[in-house]
Amino acid sequence: MAAEAAPPHLELHGLEKRFGATRAVQALSLSVGKGELIGLLGPSGCGKTTTLRMIGGLMPATDGRIIVAGRDVTALPPHRRDMGIVFQNYALFPHMDVAQNLSFGLEMRKIPADERQQRVQRALAMVRLEAFAARKPRELSGGQQQRVALARALVIEPSILLLDEPLSNLDANLREEMRNEIRDIQQRLGITAVFVTHDQAEALAICDRIAVMRAGVLEQLGTPFEIYERPANEFVAGFVGRVNRAAGHRGADGRLLLGDVVLQGTGHAGAGPVTIMIRPHRIRLTDTPPEGIGWNSATGTVTRRTFVGDLLSIEVALGPASLLVEQHTFAGAVVAGPGDAVRLAWRAEDTLVFPASPAGVFPAPPAGVFPA
Amino acid sequence: MGRFGLLPLLVLPAVAVNLLTFLWPMLNLAGLSFREGMPGGGIGTDFTMATWRDLLADEFYLEILLRSVGVSLTITGFALLAGYPLAFFVHRSDARWRNLLVVACISPLLISAVVRTYGWLVILGDRGFAPSLLRGIGIDPPRLVFNMTGVIIGLVEILMPYMILSLLAGFGKLNQTLEEAAASLGAPPLTVFWRIVLPLTLPGILLGCLLTFVLTISSFITPKLLGGGRVLLLATEIYDNAIVTLNWPLAAALSLIALGVFGAAMVVYGRIARAAERAIA
Repeated sequence: MAAEAAPPHLELHGLEKRFGATRAVQALSLSVGKGELIGLLGPSGCGKTTTLRMIGGLMPATDGRIIVAGRDVTALPPHRRDMGIVFQNYALFPHMDVAQNLSFGLEMRKIPADERQQRVQRALAMVRLEAFAARKPRELSGGQQQRVALARALVIEPSILLLDEPLSNLDANLREEMRNEIRDIQQRLGITAVFVTHDQAEALAICDRIAVMRAGVLEQLGTPFEIYERPANEFVAGFVGRVNRAAGHRGADGRLLLGDVVLQGTGHAGAGPVTIMIRPHRIRLTDTPPEGIGWNSATGTVTRRTFVGDLLSIEVALGPASLLVEQHTFAGAVVAGPGDAVRLAWRAEDTLVFPASPAGVFPAPPAGVFPA
Repeated sequence: MGRFGLLPLLVLPAVAVNLLTFLWPMLNLAGLSFREGMPGGGIGTDFTMATWRDLLADEFYLEILLRSVGVSLTITGFALLAGYPLAFFVHRSDARWRNLLVVACISPLLISAVVRTYGWLVILGDRGFAPSLLRGIGIDPPRLVFNMTGVIIGLVEILMPYMILSLLAGFGKLNQTLEEAAASLGAPPLTVFWRIVLPLTLPGILLGCLLTFVLTISSFITPKLLGGGRVLLLATEIYDNAIVTLNWPLAAALSLIALGVFGAAMVVYGRIARAAERAIA
């Protein structure tokens, strides 16, 4: 979080992209500290890639300004922006070997040949590909190509590193490994980076701060902790992490009701219909629910039980709502099955309350739980 | 049949057709060039080297050969220069429009080359559209037909569809993110073209050039009409000898020389294409 205190290195002021009548990115303002890794997170079509392309100069901004280290670069063509870009499909030059790919940016900067060679060697060492300098891109695996793409973007020592869904073409194991590698290198070099992804776990894992976007609008900007624990709205709560979503009501007297159960919650305090969101793993199954302030408890009926090894997920009908409860499994645990009555308990601060969204704004998620 | 089973049988019809309609006539042609030509199209029965001896001794034919190769290379070059930007534009356009544009590019092929040649005669002729236009903007028009200029203009336009099709076929390796990557690494647009776009489109360029060159050197109607009989090329000479003066042995010998030029072009193409393949693949 130290990066937050750093002076802004990249600033977006009212950045806007319109395609005809469509506002792909709407008045986006954002300030990224030196050495900070910021994530642009959102579903496809939210404008995150468009934002990245505008920062990189690959697409002109309709309106607004892009400032790098105090200098307005909005009108500069990409080749004069000094930004390293890692593309989703890697975009390695197929007719050049690995060393030539890395050397290309240095040649453009008129770096003398011997220094060029040294820097290419250093960059290859950084991504542990020294032995592959003479290979053509098509002779490399996906993970290796990804590392070459990263090294190529970094060898020019750009002022900003832009990563456009760099991990989406890798399989799951490699993705985790590469994301940590990207984070390590980014921190080691202290480079300011913008990371576009639709994968919330990826963003939570490596970003200093995350900008959650939807339909061209910045919904929330915050640290992974803030985004997850204190989502600004129903959309952010639903998009980041798994969450139960139930229709509730807050009376004029301030009482929060889910069906006929009275709850304590956090967030929206206005009277009227509300949406109550609770993360499945924050709900406990217990015979002796903690009493008093700060805790909610209710009794429900198990409707379904799914065992997935490390996790047990249990669906509980609670009045009109259906809540998914996730528990870590352990040996000897006694678990309730379908038809059993169970007592649930969860903390008031885990009970997120939002004004009920007008119909049609959010499509109803299946089974009351947003996909992970 | 080995591990392919009966599969090789599938090529038999094509082999048979080629033997019958290509190789057999070619051999006949070769034989014909060693016979004596009689006035009025008659052909002697005795073996003679006379045709080949005269042909190889006469500088006129060497001149024709060199001119044909030179003109064909020039036309190929112009077709490439005119076709490349067009093919690039078509390749880059929206998928919705691309097919339509491709059809537009090759639609001239729907009209016979003869008709298009007469069209050019009308456009380029002394009272035609092109000279009037030039006069209109204050330029004294040079002669545009019945000379080399007319032949080059006509053939470039007539053969451009083949060039464009070949280029488009070779543009498959091109991907706009590669250009974006190069630009992000600091390459200005012209450098992006030289270092990324051109190398990746080289296979298409080579194929288009081979095709255009071979088609140019074998075309005779357009050079004959637009050249007004003043542009003497290998193909027009073959035509004249076979159809006008009826010196069939000479026409046969010249045809074999043309075949040799095609062979040489194939060899050169193969060499360059292989070298390019090694360099860029």
